[in-house]
Amino acid sequence: MAPDDASDEPLDLAESLAIIQAQRARVRDQVAPDPRVLFGAWGVAWLVGYLVLWSSARAEPYGHPGGAAFTVFGVLLSAALAVTIAHIARRTAGVRGASERTGSMYGWTWTIGFSAVVLTMIGLTRAGAGWEVLALGWNALSALVVGVLYAAGAAMWEDWRMFGLGAWIALVAGATTLLGVPGSYLLMALAGGGGMLAAATLAHVSRRKGGW
Amino acid sequence: MTDDDLDPVIHAQSRLRVVATLAAMPHGDRVSFPKLQRLLDMTAGNLSTHVRKLEEAEYVLVTKTHEGRTPATYLELTSSGRLAFERYSRRLTDLLKGAQS
Repeated sequence: MAPDDASDEPLDLAESLAIIQAQRARVRDQVAPDPRVLFGAWGVAWLVGYLVLWSSARAEPYGHPGGAAFTVFGVLLSAALAVTIAHIARRTAGVRGASERTGSMYGWTWTIGFSAVVLTMIGLTRAGAGWEVLALGWNALSALVVGVLYAAGAAMWEDWRMFGLGAWIALVAGATTLLGVPGSYLLMALAGGGGMLAAATLAHVSRRKGGW
Repeated sequence: MTDDDLDPVIHAQSRLRVVATLAAMPHGDRVSFPKLQRLLDMTAGNLSTHVRKLEEAEYVLVTKTHEGRTPATYLELTSSGRLAFERYSRRLTDLLKGAQS
């Protein structure tokens, strides 16, 4: 008999159930990406980054944000992207199969979506769009891609909270264009970034209650 | 309280932990041996022993492959393993409900 058969002693029924629940929680905590980390990182980046753009636009004489504000904004978004990639890579390392294929197609859809945004904005710039149209376009199209892809991802993983967040962000994205600059930045900060942080908080509360 | 009809292959602490962990993975996913080891806090030798028994019962499928030049081992529940775990969980819940009343 192998020595580790000592751990094969008869199990108490309640103990069995506890083992099943503990391992399920372990997989959730170490394999599945944590929505609190992802929504939290983007929520902070959007909230702070767009507030910086908004306050800069209000201070500048021509009404559009200065270069320093865009640098801060860019650094915050890059940081959120780095957190996202590192977190997902760590959680999904050592897992192959169906979710790897799904995740790879989903990941590429983000790259393709943002490439299409860049192409569109280059086209609009060449067609002679003014700075405010371009500012509104960059914002709304990018946030639209985020919202729609959140909702589509939620449909794949049957996650109602993520679906609600995606739908909300998509609608906020469209609504920003109605406000013009700098109101669009304020709406992105409060409704977009705030929405992400609200979703992160909801995920945290439901996890503490024992849900996913 | 009787647990006679609980699948004896699964109803042992270490094997239950292995099966419950693999069952918590999304359907159609395989997990690498070292990752499973970390999820279980088991030594490699210990995990191998239990996996062998689960493999003999055809509850676990072991795939050996290469990542670059490094050999890699992946594990997943077979359809019958998943079914056996679902049956085990259901029976366990029934027995626990019966024990309460």
